[in-house]
Amino acid sequence: MNDQHAAAPGDIAEVEMRGIVRRFPGVLANDRVDLRVASGEIHAVMGENGAGKSTLMSILYGLQRPDAGRILLRGTEHSFGSPVQAIAAGLGMVHQGFKLFPSLTVTENVVYGSEPTRRGLVDRATARARVAELVDTHGLHVPPDARVADLPIGVQQRVEILKLLYRDARVLILDEPTAVLTPAEADRLLAVIRGLARSGRTILLVTHKLGEVMAVSDRVTVLRDGRVTARLATAETTPAEIALAMTGRRIDLDRTHPAGTPAADVLEVRGLTVSAGRGAKPLVENVSLTVRAGEIVGVAGVAGNGQSELVEALAGLRPIDAGRVLVAGRDVGDASVQQRRRAGLAYVPEDRATVGAARDASLADNLAMGFHRTPPLAGRGGFLRRAAIREHAARVIERFGVKAASSAVTIGTLSGGNQQKAILGREITHDAPLLLVEQPTRGVDIGSIENIHARLVEYRDAGHGVLLVSAELSEILALSDRVLVMYEGRIVAELPRAEADVHAIGLAMAGGDPTRSAAAADPDAGDDASSTAPTTAHQV
Amino acid sequence: MTASKAGTATEHPSSPAARVALRVRGAVFSPVTVSVVAALILGAIILAGTGADPLTAYGSVLTGAFGSEGIGDTLGECIPIVGLALALAIPLRAGLVNLGGDGQLVLGGLAAVSVGLYSPFPSAVTVVLALLAGMLAGGLWAALAAVLETRCGVPLLVSSLLLSYPAMSFVSYMVRFPLLQKGSGIPQTERLPEGVKLPEFAAGSGAGTGVSVGIVLIVLAAVIYFVVDHRTAAGYEVRMTGLGARFAGYAGVDRSRLTLRLMFASGSLAGLVGAITVLGFPYRMVDGALTTPGYTWTGLLAALLAAASPVGTVAAGFFFSALTIGGFGMEQETAVPQQLTAVLQAVVILFLAVRGGVFRKGGWLRRFGRGPDTAGHPPPDPEAGVLDTGMLTTGVLDTGVAGPPAPARGDGGK
Repeated sequence: MNDQHAAAPGDIAEVEMRGIVRRFPGVLANDRVDLRVASGEIHAVMGENGAGKSTLMSILYGLQRPDAGRILLRGTEHSFGSPVQAIAAGLGMVHQGFKLFPSLTVTENVVYGSEPTRRGLVDRATARARVAELVDTHGLHVPPDARVADLPIGVQQRVEILKLLYRDARVLILDEPTAVLTPAEADRLLAVIRGLARSGRTILLVTHKLGEVMAVSDRVTVLRDGRVTARLATAETTPAEIALAMTGRRIDLDRTHPAGTPAADVLEVRGLTVSAGRGAKPLVENVSLTVRAGEIVGVAGVAGNGQSELVEALAGLRPIDAGRVLVAGRDVGDASVQQRRRAGLAYVPEDRATVGAARDASLADNLAMGFHRTPPLAGRGGFLRRAAIREHAARVIERFGVKAASSAVTIGTLSGGNQQKAILGREITHDAPLLLVEQPTRGVDIGSIENIHARLVEYRDAGHGVLLVSAELSEILALSDRVLVMYEGRIVAELPRAEADVHAIGLAMAGGDPTRSAAAADPDAGDDASSTAPTTAHQV
Repeated sequence: MTASKAGTATEHPSSPAARVALRVRGAVFSPVTVSVVAALILGAIILAGTGADPLTAYGSVLTGAFGSEGIGDTLGECIPIVGLALALAIPLRAGLVNLGGDGQLVLGGLAAVSVGLYSPFPSAVTVVLALLAGMLAGGLWAALAAVLETRCGVPLLVSSLLLSYPAMSFVSYMVRFPLLQKGSGIPQTERLPEGVKLPEFAAGSGAGTGVSVGIVLIVLAAVIYFVVDHRTAAGYEVRMTGLGARFAGYAGVDRSRLTLRLMFASGSLAGLVGAITVLGFPYRMVDGALTTPGYTWTGLLAALLAAASPVGTVAAGFFFSALTIGGFGMEQETAVPQQLTAVLQAVVILFLAVRGGVFRKGGWLRRFGRGPDTAGHPPPDPEAGVLDTGMLTTGVLDTGVAGPPAPARGDGGK
């Protein structure tokens, strides 16, 4: 590892954490962690889920007290009992879940708690002017008078950043800031982060996405199991090196799987339309597609362009307004969910916490779903065979490498990656000719991603068809035999594996025509696509 | 099923002894135990404040409820309270709240008394027919509420509650006019013919105990509920719907059909309770006798308290029955008004409702009760004690049509 921890003499770090230890019963969340962040630096703190990044940041921000260790800001030792003290010392944090008042305007949200006053009353004009000035200075593009509830999520996040800037935060801690953003929004955020660093602010970026770390950070500190495993200068490292430090093993990031050998149709969709209600533009408009056994068909697109609705309509969770759907040759246009599943469909939904699983039910119960009416799990007269349920769970856990103390734990206690492996395992075990998969690796750690991808390819090679919807272009490119691009509810491009590249797909995702050259295309769309490409290409 | 059995698996108990210890600890520190104990302490303070001796008063509650004179009454009280608790627990297990227990109860009573009065068959056959008629009447009325939700979009909470009022008014009219006992000043029906009644268990002295074989039917209902819940595919679907309605729908559980069936079962059981009641002393239907004691609300509280788990619901229903009967005993012995037991009921519920800060994940009590912590692992519910600890949790009610009505009726309807 390039251990560049030793700082030049006389160089005072903006933030320095020394020997931080934090114990939870049975777990050492932070084990003598040192973190040193120079002024004006974008410093990425990386690690898989549970590596201790969040604990470390909570300690820095005064949300938790360390059991040992010191915190120094510009050479002065601090001990924060609460975030209020941390904010006073010039720190600011944007949490994963935003803390905004949806019904108030941007300005009201930003100045809340430290409103400028005139004769004891809130001075709205000054407040607005100062917020507008901050927006201009940092190129944040946030309308100061808009109601927060009306703003897209990416803009709401910039409101959170505005709040910190308004309080003169010198150090901004951003916790998984791109987790909720579309690729375009993520790129815009990264540009904002760069601008903030240029203006002298120090950024701590907590993330497990390699792509954005490579794109934006100056230095990286990697944690694994509560310890620092690497301190790297971004310019001198590679994604593979970071991934190795994060997981402790080599991960092939650019692996593309060999192409499949398509056979008969397992899904045929003709003219599928899902309306959004009277007068509104349809959510899914006249979509036709085919998935054959032995191929993975990827559906790319910026989130919210009808992909989710398409899959829900196919799975029977959303009524169809027009069109035909054939699963394994059977028309299931108005069939119930259960009938569709019997016809040969399995489904890994996007929302694994509430749709794909019952959080408070045991892992065994979650894995039994769909197998519970037939032998071997059910005996005669609809009675369940508990031993068979446990065995079934044990088999799925074993085969898909789900890490759980036992099948009796509630599934909600597992990490996102393990929940996903369990759900994927259950659906694959159904052995249905067609598998619908939505965002299979969202919020999943890097080690599990590799595993999940391998499972999908394995499933395809066993002669099943897979329809894959993902917002991660890298995932689409790594797995798909064919790529469909959705834009505003329609399929705007269909690209065979050979022609599918980041540029062509990115262009189509932004509404451009990938068959024309980028130069000839609409300049806005071209811009969007090219700015999307570099980051998303690396997102693992 | 497997989950609740080995509920403490995250702890990695090293030995059976450790596992048992954890279970015992889980039971002792379960929210229910703590709430009951806290309510008893608070009740003791109130008692002391009124000048009574708390220990004597509690002693008289116990003897009142379980002494040789009280135990019969307690068991008798269990028929409507446990019966309705089970009836309301059935849909609650799937996150559905049936608020129409009163209507289903009185329709069951009316159907049974009508059959009892006019059946041309021998009395034994008539009794069976009356029970079946009661179940059918309650079940159909509850099913109507389900249809209103699944077909017309009226939330079940609303449809079941609102259907209850016309049912009660209709029954009241029937009792006061067409079926009214001739020449009686009391709004009650004619007495059922001799022999048309549920046999009673005899007491030592030979006098009737007031406990009819109806209690056997309620026990039977509880056993059936337990077996279906724990052991069958249908019960599994119900539990999964309660734990995650969208999950169940995604996996192919037909919610409309499930709602209809559960409501029919729920209403049938409520109707059965009504039928059992009119087939016992005083062998007729008295207007208001079924609804005034608030069995529906006490039953709903018991079901909520136990998160609709079969064993817990019975235990909670029994607890409330004993508290009610014990309260009468206390009033006779110590001149403490029996309303205090209603206060105790209310305080138990209140403690469970506010457990947020204390019992929630990471709260001091939960940690203490759980022993060594595994960070980030919220504790599984140890079914250890009598009652499920998951009661009143978001798990049950969030998945329902709307929020819980529970704490508002903390007085148990008294």
